[in-house]
Amino acid sequence: MTRPIARPPVRILLGLVAPVLLLLWWQAAADSTGSAVLAAPSAVTREALALLRDGSLLDDALATLGRAFTGLLIGAPLGIAAGIAMGIWRPLDRVLGPLLHGLRQVPMIGWLPLVGLWFGAGEGAELIVVSLSAFFPAMLNSHAGVAQVEKRYIEVGRIYGFGTLQRIRFILLPAAMPLVLTGLTQSLAFAWIATIGAEILTGAGGGLGVTIQLAQVQQRLDIMLVAIAVTALLGFAINQIFQRLRRRLLRWQPSSL
Amino acid sequence: MSVNAPRPTSSTASQPAQERGALSIANLNKNFIIGGEQRRILEDINLTVRPGEFVSIVGASGCGKSTLLRLIVGLDADYQGDVRLDGQRISTTSLDRGIVFQDHRLFPWMTLEQNVELALLNTDTPKERRRQIVADHIALVNLSGFEKAYPHQLSGGMAQRAAIARALVTEPKLLLLDEPLGALDALTRVHVQNEIQRIWMAQQSSMVMVTHDVEEALYLGDRVVVMSPNPGRIRRIVEVDLPHPRDRRSPLLHRLKDEILAELTSGASEEPTNLVHLQQRSQA
Repeated sequence: MTRPIARPPVRILLGLVAPVLLLLWWQAAADSTGSAVLAAPSAVTREALALLRDGSLLDDALATLGRAFTGLLIGAPLGIAAGIAMGIWRPLDRVLGPLLHGLRQVPMIGWLPLVGLWFGAGEGAELIVVSLSAFFPAMLNSHAGVAQVEKRYIEVGRIYGFGTLQRIRFILLPAAMPLVLTGLTQSLAFAWIATIGAEILTGAGGGLGVTIQLAQVQQRLDIMLVAIAVTALLGFAINQIFQRLRRRLLRWQPSSL
Repeated sequence: MSVNAPRPTSSTASQPAQERGALSIANLNKNFIIGGEQRRILEDINLTVRPGEFVSIVGASGCGKSTLLRLIVGLDADYQGDVRLDGQRISTTSLDRGIVFQDHRLFPWMTLEQNVELALLNTDTPKERRRQIVADHIALVNLSGFEKAYPHQLSGGMAQRAAIARALVTEPKLLLLDEPLGALDALTRVHVQNEIQRIWMAQQSSMVMVTHDVEEALYLGDRVVVMSPNPGRIRRIVEVDLPHPRDRRSPLLHRLKDEILAELTSGASEEPTNLVHLQQRSQA
């Protein structure tokens, strides 16, 4: 905290160095190669403003955000519940664990063709893939969180006569919370990636990924780069907000970073 | 009856028919299976603790003294022989018996206040009285003002006192202290020893404390049980015939300390490293 490099204004400035350098390099590269290969930042900015004005950028961003969060809200709670249940009740882990660990080896994009065949390559298929992406990190980390609770804390519960539900509520869940939140952070990132990926591959229902795919067909590099930049910025912002929330929830930890 | 009975406990104990906090251990043996082999950890332990008495247990590490406390508190019910509190055989944990561990074991996700209050979860204390009782016990260990602190914000000595408050809040008949000061620096240790003495005199419950530190054992204990290792046995029980609160400079305490240390080191061939360690600790 006392080191100047850790102070917020300094930290933000330092964080901006690389993006600004990238922008400068980008402009120089665009000037020397021509707009067919690389649209210049100035052209991209112009296009971004145009897309903002006609509302299509906002529509895309909202569609993608809506899809990502709907998938997250379906997948992550199920993953947390499954992970905790498996962590508390070993037979369930024995029965379901191997299957789930096998299934998670398949990258989420790998499910898309199959899900598309079954449910049609539309909104439904996209949502299923996003939900699955959010499910696994939440499940794995919650499971580890509950399974790793220190025995000495469980013993304190025994001393004070805790029943099963009291043990879960007052010891297992709070002790697992750091890892549950780590899982949720990963779920968030995976859901975001899966959303863009599914949109590009299915092209269904609008969204930043759909726009990227259409821009590719139309060879509109400027639009493509606008959509990519917005994807990066939104993903970054969501993660920042979540980290803040996580720090608040884990304020009981010595240094919750 | 206790030889030194300056406190009212001993006299009131004769009035009500029911005993409070009388521990009796008879013919206790305890084995562990280590590497596929049965190993005897405790052998033929016989000990009674009178209601309101403070008994210290000293011995080198590996003499089974912490195991003994785990049996008394009921975390381990796999033993031969008899361990009874007020006539009831101990087979599991109970709110009658509290324990303070060497690591404070406060839940890091709860404030000091929440930690102490959680101990009352399964008592029939009315909800509206809990707040007051918790505040009283936090005051008892001199931590008022730190109610909202999380354990990581407390110093080692403060956390250990908080753990004592949590252990006492259910008003156990018997409080077990498993090297509660072992992780503290010498100065803090003296301070918390005084606190424990004061609290014990106020609470009038029986206490059994396990420690490495002979001086600490003598300063607090009405009696000091000296144990030897491999397997853990009671070697000797020393009466400390001094009223509380005690003066650390008392010649009797120093004489008894020398005696006990001599007793412990006379078997030095069994486990020399531990005993040297013990001697250094108690001189600190």
